[in-house]
Amino acid sequence: MLEIKNLHVTVDGKEILKGLSLAVEAGQVHAIMGPNGSGKSTLSYVLAGRAGYEVTEGSIVYRGKDLTAMAPEERAAAGIFLAMQYPVEIPGVTTMTFLKTALNAQRRARGEKEIDAVGVLKLVRAKAKTLNVPEEMLKRALNVGFSGGEKKRLEVLQMALFEPSLAILDETDSGLDIDALKLVAEGVNALRTPERAMLVITHYQRLLDYIVPDRVHVLAGGRIIAEGGKELAHELEAKGYAQIVKDAA
Amino acid sequence: MSASAHWLDERRADAAARFAAAGVPHRRIEDWKYTDLKPAIEGANDDAAVEWSIRTHPDSVEVFDLASADAPGWVREHLGTLPQNAMAAASLARARRGFAARVPKGVAAGTVDFEWSGSGSGRALIVLEESASLTLHENNRTDGFSNIGVEIVTGANARVTHLRVANRGANAVQVEEYAVAVAQGGAYRAHLFNGGAKLSRAEFQIALSGAGASAALSGVSVLADGAHADITTHITHAVANTESTQLFKKVAGGASRAIYQGRIAVAEGAVKSDSRQTAKALLMGSRAEADLKPELEIFTDDVKCAHGAAVGDLDLDSLFYLRARGIPEAEARNMLVRAFLGEAVDEIADEALRGHMWSLVEEALAGAMQP
Repeated sequence: MLEIKNLHVTVDGKEILKGLSLAVEAGQVHAIMGPNGSGKSTLSYVLAGRAGYEVTEGSIVYRGKDLTAMAPEERAAAGIFLAMQYPVEIPGVTTMTFLKTALNAQRRARGEKEIDAVGVLKLVRAKAKTLNVPEEMLKRALNVGFSGGEKKRLEVLQMALFEPSLAILDETDSGLDIDALKLVAEGVNALRTPERAMLVITHYQRLLDYIVPDRVHVLAGGRIIAEGGKELAHELEAKGYAQIVKDAA
Repeated sequence: MSASAHWLDERRADAAARFAAAGVPHRRIEDWKYTDLKPAIEGANDDAAVEWSIRTHPDSVEVFDLASADAPGWVREHLGTLPQNAMAAASLARARRGFAARVPKGVAAGTVDFEWSGSGSGRALIVLEESASLTLHENNRTDGFSNIGVEIVTGANARVTHLRVANRGANAVQVEEYAVAVAQGGAYRAHLFNGGAKLSRAEFQIALSGAGASAALSGVSVLADGAHADITTHITHAVANTESTQLFKKVAGGASRAIYQGRIAVAEGAVKSDSRQTAKALLMGSRAEADLKPELEIFTDDVKCAHGAAVGDLDLDSLFYLRARGIPEAEARNMLVRAFLGEAVDEIADEALRGHMWSLVEEALAGAMQP
């Protein structure tokens, strides 16, 4: 589904990703682990199409298409979803209005029929219930005054609503207590299907106890330096990044 | 106005003398630093008079045509008595047309809907007696140069809601002066809309002169290329326990210019005065400009005065967030601009007026989104 080859990415003139290669098949969950500053967030942003992340070399092919040529909204409509580490607060836009606008924009771009307000409300309510997102949250301005846990739950709610083919979770565990983490992980696990791929980006192994990956990749210095099964996450936790980086060198 | 009345001739002569001494404002006068009126009105006819019309008014509101003779006592008592800057003096001295309206004591009058058109000078006087209330819905549809002076005098506990719409004319040079006296327990709320006039200057002189008096101003300017909109406010907290809030949002496209100057004066002894002023501008046009200048003059302790001003572009993080969720860039920008303006529009408590304000915003927005 996703194939990244020899990816070099520059931000503000500085090379952050230096020849990253990665392939993710449908139905798989891949974890990207790495120390701070290794390029984890850069990878998530370059996949979602954020401005200022310049691909200088290599390729990203998603379902046979060159992803780098697509605008962020085109990527979303094509089934890519990035659950952000720091969801943005947008005063003046209510959460429900945002969800409806985004859902219908994606549907329109795919040539699907738009869903009316009542239909969207029903859909959102059903998803919100399972994720323990209270109705009152949906009436508030998008992410404004939400706690860390609420913001992350809303990200997972969007993922459930948009039903992406490729979901990228960027440090979804950061700022969550263990109960919130379990809730978010359950929400994510409920979305695991044979058609959907996930890229779980995290600093800690903790999240991977709840979202068990098929493959684990270690990102350091802008490259994948180690790969393995889910046991690699535990090895990392035991040895620390420094040792793994040293072993790989 | 009734040319024969001695009382009026005197006030006009005083005003004419004041204006003659001051002259037409220009940018070397601090208050007019951002708006150079002199070159903008070269060749204008000083004797022209704007047209006014009251589209609807409740029966309980007494209306007097200022061009008629035999002005009633309340007109003689108040017309031209509030403090005036040079242009207000000019409108008083020159205006041959205008109207006065009075709401009697205790009457909740509903809405007076009126408009100005044509060009030249005009004058209005609004009087609310004790505990009266009124909504003013004012439309400035003048073209060419107009200079309109409006006085609003309120009795104790009187309440005014004032929706002012300046929305016309690539050739319009609209100068307006509002002098408002808010008495004890009274409230003046104004909501302003600025659209595409070549030059619009609205200046408010508001005196909070009784305990519990309050003023709340909000406004949106949605400016397309070539527009110049200047909102200047002077609010005086003359006595203790008075409150003022101001919230202005501006979107400037093309080579337009948005200006806010807000001066709060807290008089000696006016303790527990509470004032807040915020002005923010989004520059959509590469040659757009915003000048936001909040000022405080405080002559007493124990007051709360907050002010803030910010000029910027749309937040790129927000824009990316919306786009990453599938919302196309143009639509995302629109959402963010509406959200930005919405904060000021939502200050309008009345749903119908708020809806009207939104329709004005929508109409003007495409022009203001031009780079």
